Amino acid sequence: MSSELRIILIIASVAFFIFILNMVRTKKLELKYALTWLLTSLAFVLLSIFPQILFFLAGILHIELPVNALYLCVIFLLMMIVFTLTVAVSRQALRIKTLVQEIGLLKEAIERMKK
Amino acid sequence: MKTLVIIPAYQEARNLPRLFEELGEVPLDFDVVVINDCSTDDTEEVCHRYGIPVVSLPVNLGIGGAVQTGYKYALRNGYDIAVQMDGDGQHDPKFLKLVLSRIHQGYDMCIGSRFIENKGFQSSLTRRAGIKYFSWLIKLLTGQYISDPTSGFRACNRELIRLFANSYPKDYPEPETIVTAIRNNYRITEVPVIMRPRQYGESSITGNMAAYYMVKVTLAVIMAAFAKKNGDGAR
Repeated sequence: MSSELRIILIIASVAFFIFILNMVRTKKLELKYALTWLLTSLAFVLLSIFPQILFFLAGILHIELPVNALYLCVIFLLMMIVFTLTVAVSRQALRIKTLVQEIGLLKEAIERMKK
Repeated sequence: MKTLVIIPAYQEARNLPRLFEELGEVPLDFDVVVINDCSTDDTEEVCHRYGIPVVSLPVNLGIGGAVQTGYKYALRNGYDIAVQMDGDGQHDPKFLKLVLSRIHQGYDMCIGSRFIENKGFQSSLTRRAGIKYFSWLIKLLTGQYISDPTSGFRACNRELIRLFANSYPKDYPEPETIVTAIRNNYRITEVPVIMRPRQYGESSITGNMAAYYMVKVTLAVIMAAFAKKNGDGAR
């Protein structure tokens, strides 16, 4: 991995980590959903500071270029985030459905009480 | 026994008056509730005009969410039996008595089937093939043969009302709920009914949707067969 790429990665990942942290601090992001992002950005910080991790990973997985091991890590983390989002969306959908039904039933009950 | 007829309705303003009039002619004691699934036509006004209670959902939930609302309504208002009937006029209220009789006899669920006597509207050949396939799949998974697993004309007792109020599939719920019911050791039976082609409007399952329907329902039915008992499999 070139030193230029390393420097860019370090700056970007540290900035990203601070950005996420700030979002949580100002309550723009719920900690629950920010957790995967925090872990991800922390992982990026570690990988850019200690690229040996990538060399080690590339070694044991027989990946020729360490940068490809980096891509592997990124894809893995992205998939993790997308999956947690799918879980969150499913839960939201169920909650919204329950709320919509409740509103409908309450409207009808009010209508009946008026009569 | 306190009986409720649940009619899920989406854009059925033209079909409902005839259904209400036919329901009025049935010499049985029951209440009716329409679940208006966020229709943009006069569905709600038609119900008010006929003095039928109507639950209007503020967001379109699809058939499963609408029917489940009906079961919640039945549970909260203390009904012993709930009957589901489509709002499109396919189901003839004449057969209510027959469908209900099986629940009075002690069955937990009774489905009105058009494929026992094969009379009346039988729908297209491809559709019948699809329905046969689900019959076969349900027989394979549960051991019970259901001739019309997609029929939305069905009655169930208090216990199943409670189960369905707590969890009900979102879309295409019919075959899946049969499997859930059998899996939880409820007794299901069928009676022959004559269905009619819908009067106005179109079926929601055509073309590409049919392929999606087959795949989705197959998966849902298999999942339901292995879901936790009394469980939230259908959530």
